[in-house]
Amino acid sequence: MNKEELIEGILRGDRRAVSRAISILEASMNAELGRFILNSIYPHTGKSQIIGITGPPGVGKSTMIGKLCELLVEQGSNLAVLAVDASSPFTNGSILGNRIRMQSDLTKSGVYMRSLSTHGVSGGLSRAVWEATSVLEAAGHDTILVETVGAGQADLDILELADTIAVVLAPGLGDELQAIKAGIMEIGNIFIVNKKDREGAYLSMKEIEDILSINPGKGWNPPVVGTNSLTGEGFDELIRYISEHNRYEKDNGGKKRRRVYNTILMAVKMRLDSMVAEELEVVRERLSAEEQLHSRNPYEIADEYLKEDVKRLISFAK
Amino acid sequence: MEPGKNQRLFKDKPIKVLLAKPGIDGHDRGMFVLAKAFRDAGMDVIYAGLLPTPEEVVDTAVNEDVDVIALSLLNGAHLTVFKKVVDLMTKRGIDDIAVVGGGTIPDEDKPKLEKMGISGNYGPGTPLSVIIEHITERAIEARKKKLGIQ
Repeated sequence: MNKEELIEGILRGDRRAVSRAISILEASMNAELGRFILNSIYPHTGKSQIIGITGPPGVGKSTMIGKLCELLVEQGSNLAVLAVDASSPFTNGSILGNRIRMQSDLTKSGVYMRSLSTHGVSGGLSRAVWEATSVLEAAGHDTILVETVGAGQADLDILELADTIAVVLAPGLGDELQAIKAGIMEIGNIFIVNKKDREGAYLSMKEIEDILSINPGKGWNPPVVGTNSLTGEGFDELIRYISEHNRYEKDNGGKKRRRVYNTILMAVKMRLDSMVAEELEVVRERLSAEEQLHSRNPYEIADEYLKEDVKRLISFAK
Repeated sequence: MEPGKNQRLFKDKPIKVLLAKPGIDGHDRGMFVLAKAFRDAGMDVIYAGLLPTPEEVVDTAVNEDVDVIALSLLNGAHLTVFKKVVDLMTKRGIDDIAVVGGGTIPDEDKPKLEKMGISGNYGPGTPLSVIIEHITERAIEARKKKLGIQ
């Protein structure tokens, strides 16, 4: 396969080409080729609805996506799934376990699904997710489901990527105070209380509805829907909200434009990050050579180190 | 590696392995042991779950673009089922994913598997380090082929 064939394959929706392109972009192992791929596919992107599925670990995000695959494909959607799982902070290794929850539905519906590791990035997504999404858009998928890692309160990167964000919760995770906290409870366009058959599900839904109704906004008011992925209960309602929100975003939303803007900012940040990472490596080496640093103010030591090194960083940036 | 010292972010992508028990075999304790060992060796690990068909194994390997498929069986069907996986790959022209085997495989069957391109074929009691080393070797081979795009 040469690179022209690779691009051709992506645009045709050929799975091997799509998979390979994502690997290349994931690894930055071949930066030049990666750039060629992005340059070639970017004109073909920006048309899909990107749906973010986020929420704490174990609430049933992956299983829910399996069920959504089945139903959305039935309705004629050309769907693809990206799922992110966390990497080890010690070894960088990971167990990508999302697939196992949806495998039988993927086989039945024939949906393309790709697992990605965060490779050390916090925020709930992997850097490669943005590029992978672009590849899938170029491959002609009209809907892309992106599953974040089991998210904490502050894993909010999905906000920068998705057109529609579904926050998945389960009964028994907390009271009303938990629901008015800043962070993940603010970013949902749709709130889902999954495992509806469990005790307390109704109460959880009511609590979230209560909080959301305190100060309803002008535009889209996030609905709360109860689901059960095993029986399929609530999924018709969920899918209706997803398409309603899609329409709302198309008519009123500036999310697509904001995303382009954010992606450029992020590209700048990534370039800077890689410079900083190199810089940190230099400082680390110097630090390990010195002893008796523990009795001094760490900020002073940092300034001392930067005085010399920051100049080099600036000249490097030029 | 020490915590917080993970600076591999901008370097190479880790080895990606698909663990699978194709065919009728429901004993996956060993798979979990291997999955954790591979993770600790810094690999990205995908486990295909119980009872995947050979078609599912190959589909998953392609969609995830793994470097190595690690197959395991203890029910004696390896010559049939492992072969099916390899045949499917040949049919689809996939030569840049390595296949390794393991489980309870009689010594006399190992050369036959090797001939199909399925290497390793380690049995119970094999040190994890031996398996990791072998997977790494095969992954490097596969990765070189993957990087052949010009």
